[in-house]
Amino acid sequence: MIERNQSSLLKLAGVFLTLFAIILSLSPAVRERAWDVTYRWQHWAGLLAWVAIFTFAHVETRRHLPERDPYLLPVAAMLTGWGLLTIWRLTPEFGLRQTLWMIGTVGLLAISLRFPLNLEIVRRYKYVILTGGLILTSLTLIFGTNPAGTGPRLWLGCCSFYLQPSEPLKLLLVGYLAAYLADRLPARDRLIPLLFPTLLVTGLALLLLLVQRDLGTASIFILLYATIVYIAIGRKRVLLTSIIMLLVAGLVGYLSIDLIRLRIEAWLNPWLDPSGRSYQIVQSLLSIANGGIFGRGPGLGSPTLVPISHSDFIFTAIAEESGLVGIIALLALLALLISRGLRAALMAPDRFRRLLAAGITAYFSIQSLLIIGGNMRVLPLTGVTLPFVSYGGSSLLTSFAALLVLLMISNKADEEPAPFLSPTPYYFVSAVIGLGLVAMALGTGWWTILRSEDLLNRTDNARRAISDRYVQRGTLLDRENTPINVTQGETGNLLRIYLYNELAPVVGYTHPVFGQAGLEASLDGYLRGLQGNPASLIWWDRLLYGTPPPGLDIRLSIDLTLQAEADRLLGDHKGAIVLLNARTGEILVMASHPGFDPNQLDDQGNTLSNNEDAPLLNRATQGHYSPESALEPFSQAMFGESTSVGDNERSELYNALGFFANPQVRMPVATASRSLMNMRISPLQMALATAAISNNGIRPPARIALAVNTPQQGWVILPALDEPVEALPGPFARETALAFAGENPYWSFTSVTSEPSLTWHLAGTLPDWSGTPLALVVLLEENNRPLASGMGQGLLDTALQP
Amino acid sequence: MSAPFVLALRVLLALSLYAFLGWALFTIWNELRTQGTLLAARKIPGINLNIQIGDQPLSQRYFTQSEILLGRDSHCDLPLPDDTVSVRHARLSYHHGQWWLEDLGSTNGTRLNNDKVSIPTVVINGDYVECGKASIVINLGIDTTNPPTQRIPDLGETE
Repeated sequence: MIERNQSSLLKLAGVFLTLFAIILSLSPAVRERAWDVTYRWQHWAGLLAWVAIFTFAHVETRRHLPERDPYLLPVAAMLTGWGLLTIWRLTPEFGLRQTLWMIGTVGLLAISLRFPLNLEIVRRYKYVILTGGLILTSLTLIFGTNPAGTGPRLWLGCCSFYLQPSEPLKLLLVGYLAAYLADRLPARDRLIPLLFPTLLVTGLALLLLLVQRDLGTASIFILLYATIVYIAIGRKRVLLTSIIMLLVAGLVGYLSIDLIRLRIEAWLNPWLDPSGRSYQIVQSLLSIANGGIFGRGPGLGSPTLVPISHSDFIFTAIAEESGLVGIIALLALLALLISRGLRAALMAPDRFRRLLAAGITAYFSIQSLLIIGGNMRVLPLTGVTLPFVSYGGSSLLTSFAALLVLLMISNKADEEPAPFLSPTPYYFVSAVIGLGLVAMALGTGWWTILRSEDLLNRTDNARRAISDRYVQRGTLLDRENTPINVTQGETGNLLRIYLYNELAPVVGYTHPVFGQAGLEASLDGYLRGLQGNPASLIWWDRLLYGTPPPGLDIRLSIDLTLQAEADRLLGDHKGAIVLLNARTGEILVMASHPGFDPNQLDDQGNTLSNNEDAPLLNRATQGHYSPESALEPFSQAMFGESTSVGDNERSELYNALGFFANPQVRMPVATASRSLMNMRISPLQMALATAAISNNGIRPPARIALAVNTPQQGWVILPALDEPVEALPGPFARETALAFAGENPYWSFTSVTSEPSLTWHLAGTLPDWSGTPLALVVLLEENNRPLASGMGQGLLDTALQP
Repeated sequence: MSAPFVLALRVLLALSLYAFLGWALFTIWNELRTQGTLLAARKIPGINLNIQIGDQPLSQRYFTQSEILLGRDSHCDLPLPDDTVSVRHARLSYHHGQWWLEDLGSTNGTRLNNDKVSIPTVVINGDYVECGKASIVINLGIDTTNPPTQRIPDLGETE
């Protein structure tokens, strides 16, 4: 029965890992959406080693521990294999090392079964063993190194073989406490004299860890000590005192040690400094959120964006690629391990072995809960490992040594369980651990289901930029379907190309580092394929690839021929030109100078944003200019020659002209002024008001995006976001147009202001014009009337040519 | 396309993961069930008690339960209506493969073969137990109150 259970569970674990390895091998094909790719093969070495070493361990345990618990080894094997393949997937170099460590530690476990091991040795020489561990740990104070080069120096060793003595020290502490308490109980002494030696030893270990700044291990020591003493003595007071001590220690640490303050602040409010101090935790949450319910699949997520994902954040990596489904299974595996550990404790034939098994189980549970909770911001982040799963030789060695002891204790032959003082502490501890695991599952559910969307839309989610390299982004076209911004290149290296540089302030850019601007930002939903596509397609692509579907093309109202003319006319002058279809509000020309070359963002991005001339700004919609006397045509239309016009009437007029409201258009606009005082308007607002004069007093809504090319219905019109408004009485508008008309088929008006130096030029077609009615605004950030009217004339002449 | 194929593999992956857990839970449940059935099937060897209270005639009782409470109270498994017997006087219980006698803090004490019982003590066939003035002789494994009926061999069975 035992043999059949253990072997069939190991086989199932093997099936799981083989499937995992196959998917990992195929993952590049899915990412690049083609069969002709470079597949990943390296991790199969890890899987082969796993099969070999656990077959060996299975055979050896069968021979030497015939009555062992059959679930312990398969669960540990499953966790180890899952972790190993995940590490291979994250960093093959670490995967290779972890494979070697696994062969070493599991091999050691299996071979050590051949020797007559006796746990009584631990009991008798408890002080010698613990002192040895303490000395080894204190050696790191002198000879300590960090394999990564920087950071706390907690390791001993050389030549790329490192050991962190504080890891096995935990196990030695458990052994010591179990031996000491088993010998002294039931206690006749009072609590303090009884616990004094253990407090001394544990305090010493804690001091050592604090000096080393190994805070994660230190908190595990306190919790471990509390749990074991509580289980042995059965008084909740012990637990309470330890928790208070931990809180006090945390508070003192918060006030005196920078690292603790940093960790706690990052925990309490990670959103304050997501790119600095809380970078790790925010990236970890993003990663968990990206996993969703089903996970992205092995090799298909981006868990490497989280720093040290192979060790401290391996839970996050698993969450991203296996999803909530995988995480619940992972937590269930841990629960199985813990429950079998507690069972071994309850069935143990004497008090020492009972306490030892309980202590080891507590070690597994506390460490797992601390790091999982830290990964998902339920607890402050402590840099400890997830037993069996995380990268690290010392961690693996300790985990398997603990497993060996558990296996030996569970191998109880025919001995009766020792009698109980009171089973309450065991129930209480297992209930707390169980609740902890449930809380972790709920926490994962919170981030993967409820908060997922908010998190993934954050601008510091680099996965958006990554999916941009793999998924075609929609093209921006002009009204004649001439491409303006296109995405080119091979899947995996797609690049946004900006074909018409001068439009850069208007169409903007999309860039992995500098984000998005202009129309690329405001139309991102369509261009990225998240809008306009059927919800089922979006869901399906997310399930298959973890990316949005291919983006949709958008046709703009811009006329590139006229735009080129406007850009030529504006030249090196600072200013903006807007040319509208006065009836429909379609923006035919929108020029803003100076501009920039978005193809050069990689090199120029930083200097551009600091440039005094503000080349990134779209002056036509985001510029704020004082209109001054440029409003004369409007007041003349409304009030005639009358000079005594009240502020109320003026406000009403400006309101009708749309100066107090943001133009509703699918592009970023400046916030409109709210009153006459210091009123500032953008050239687009002015152009829409101007259109009213050429369109019988009706101010049209602005339109820039005309249509979107959907996969199912072809080109679909994107309607204007606003309704036309009667800004001026029709006859007044017509009169005004004629009043400002010259010998050309259009009217025009130019005004200059000196402080600041601005030139406004307003023009539009006449009421009897039979073609498309047009409205034009030229704004120059200089005092130059002839230049502005020359530009207006030039552009309108081109536009009105039949 | 590669993606739907890999999706199918991912579904299998999740299934194999839960198959592992499911198999573990199934076998644990099975073990629990087997253990339960085993315990339920375990027979407690009956105990036959010959009771003599004062001058009253000798009576016999046969028990197959695992706990027998002796005392003056009528709710006891074996009521001993005598003033020298405490309300809840002593207990006979079967565990670890044996019958144990335990005094429940009675006023006049319990004696086993004339020795006072202070800790739970194993009783064997023919032991003589005294609770106050009530005396009990223990006969293990034989039901003399109700001799088994003889099974008559099948006669009229036809092929």
